[in-house]
Amino acid sequence: MISYELTEEQQIVQSTMAEFAREELFPQTRRLDDDAAIDTELLAKLWSTGIVQMQAEAEGRSPVTNAIALEELGAADATLALAIASTLGFVGAIADQGSARQREELLPAFAGDAFQAAAVAVLEPSFGFDVSRLSAKASRDGDNYILNGRKAMVPMASQCSHFLVIAESDGVADALIVPRDTPGVSIAEPKGTLGLRALELAEVTFENVTVPAAMRLGEDKGADVQQIIDGARIALAAIMTGLGRGIRDYVIPYVKDRIVHGTPLAKKQFIAFTIADIHMDVEAMRWMTWKAAWALEERQPVTQQAQLAFTYAGQQIIFIADHGLQMLGGHGFTKGHPVELWYRNARAISVLEGAAGV
Amino acid sequence: MVDFSLTEGDLKLMEVMRAERLRARTIAREIDRIPESQPLTDGDHPIVAGTIAPYAALAQEKAPISGLAVTECLMQTVGAPEFNTRPAPSPSGTWIVNELGSEEQKKAYGHLWLVFGVSEPIAGSDPSAMISTAKYDPETDEYVLNGEKTFISNIDLGDGVVVIVKGEPDADGKRPFYNVVLLKGTPGFEIGQPWRKLGTRYHNLGSFSMVDVRVPAMNVLGNGFVNIQTRLNVNRPVQSALGLGMCRSILDFTHGKLAEAGDEVDYAKGRSSRSFAEDKLIRMEALWEATWGVIMQCKWLEQQLGQLSKGFQTQVAMAKTMSGKATRQITQGCLELLGAEGISEEYLAEKYFRDARIIDIYEGPGEIHRLAIARKLLGYRKGELD
Repeated sequence: MISYELTEEQQIVQSTMAEFAREELFPQTRRLDDDAAIDTELLAKLWSTGIVQMQAEAEGRSPVTNAIALEELGAADATLALAIASTLGFVGAIADQGSARQREELLPAFAGDAFQAAAVAVLEPSFGFDVSRLSAKASRDGDNYILNGRKAMVPMASQCSHFLVIAESDGVADALIVPRDTPGVSIAEPKGTLGLRALELAEVTFENVTVPAAMRLGEDKGADVQQIIDGARIALAAIMTGLGRGIRDYVIPYVKDRIVHGTPLAKKQFIAFTIADIHMDVEAMRWMTWKAAWALEERQPVTQQAQLAFTYAGQQIIFIADHGLQMLGGHGFTKGHPVELWYRNARAISVLEGAAGV
Repeated sequence: MVDFSLTEGDLKLMEVMRAERLRARTIAREIDRIPESQPLTDGDHPIVAGTIAPYAALAQEKAPISGLAVTECLMQTVGAPEFNTRPAPSPSGTWIVNELGSEEQKKAYGHLWLVFGVSEPIAGSDPSAMISTAKYDPETDEYVLNGEKTFISNIDLGDGVVVIVKGEPDADGKRPFYNVVLLKGTPGFEIGQPWRKLGTRYHNLGSFSMVDVRVPAMNVLGNGFVNIQTRLNVNRPVQSALGLGMCRSILDFTHGKLAEAGDEVDYAKGRSSRSFAEDKLIRMEALWEATWGVIMQCKWLEQQLGQLSKGFQTQVAMAKTMSGKATRQITQGCLELLGAEGISEEYLAEKYFRDARIIDIYEGPGEIHRLAIARKLLGYRKGELD
């Protein structure tokens, strides 16, 4: 029965995250971008909201609630939202698809009070890369897999305890859990990126890495890798919804205050209509994200919904950020306002397919 | 709890509507070639004879549904209506009489089949620009109507019209809007020829003029223009969902034809692995889904707040705007993908392209609704942002 009603718990999560994002994250967004690093104190605060820890407990797992939380975080700072979503992607995959032993061994490290990063490593450093065409290969060798390949744009790679590496094995995509200190794993220095700079996105190389078969996600049963990609698409759509909302809420007071040729900018139909379009897109992005997250939570087929939510959000966030910047004119191009940062983040997040989860 | 599951009742009713529309599809081209609209006057169209009307099925459904408002829209999204297979169930004019009229007025006119006359040739969606007038004649206790109305649905059908006209200026110089019952046969009330149109040729759309038309004072329903918003608030998302139904048909047709040509959409792949056609289809499906989400949220809110609430007006404007955008972009995009073969009248795709173009015009074009949305967001009133 179709309903858009949040549970009481979800309303609490929403308002708690909104307050946290507004009070703690938003004031730091420029500094983080300038520093191109996330400070550990802020990560600890973010961790203290408990969003990741809840996923490590079977009864606390809820992609819908996560999507709601990620929108709130994304409205303040998409980079920090993605820092959490990246770890959520790893934890969610273990919680949903890990064997009992894998869940038992790995999840407690993410249920504690101290921040712990981990990431799903999907993207590869080549133009024209596609999630359906993996170059990274895992070949079975007795009780082990031998993993070779390069993974790109891994969030906070140097801080991750584990990577969930998506690689091709026997012609199909498979997921291997690789502790970062495994011999053959090397993490490159971040080269710097257009946007989401504080994530320290970096390349990770796996060279003849021996991964025990027991560390294959789901062990003998294997894993549904598509579900991990679906979850990533939903998480990114949720953050883009927040980012779009943040831009909308920032430009509205600006265009009302700014007088151009005798009247507020907001009273020019083109500007007013564009703001209406931005608002509609944000709303639509949210409902699409919820619908896909709901399907994931209910273990319904989700690939199509996740793709549509991600595609729409990725397309419209550029429209929103582009027009948001344009409304500020020259000021939009300067670092005196956060819109240029959001513009960079919008382009970055909409192509970062795979580096997140709900 | 956030829930997007369809109930047994929803699915059943969507199937009833789908079956209805598939029956209509078998003669859709034939109907489309009739140059002027032929309103359905004497019951159901023979193509659906002996089957239950989808709206009757909705009213009678015993299994749980997502709600009358939500489920009605779900039903509308299943496919293009093709043409009117059933007489219009509840004309707007009759509804207005029964909602706003006094007991005496309801008794006199509530049983009649009355359409609704708003638009004027030079005042499409701007009521303030209307020039049709009502002048009171105290000697006869009558109102004298003058003016011209156009784009009136089903004017050839039924007993008459509830027409919106402007009264004489009050003490502040403002001219009130009146809803007036105007019956066919009244001297000076002339109905013109139906419009010939780009699409929805099955839909009767006409004009009428009023030259010194005299109606008894009791025909004036009062309560002005404002109350009509209620009806429009309820109906606009339904029309939006109907637009999605048209898009569903052309999308399904396009998916099918491109798959036959070896271009089948795979939602798992990323953008670098897709053909142009696949990518475009996914983007159009995404727009369809975006519009679906906005319409259903609007209707869900209507169910929560009640039809008379003003608490979902912005959502109504968004539903209509999104659907207008979606129907234009999707029908245009599908015909682009289908290529030259797509324009052939051998198929219905070109008909959907024509039919769907009205969605972003009637019941307020996207521009008018964007104005309403922007006023809400920016905190401006009418007069401050126009």
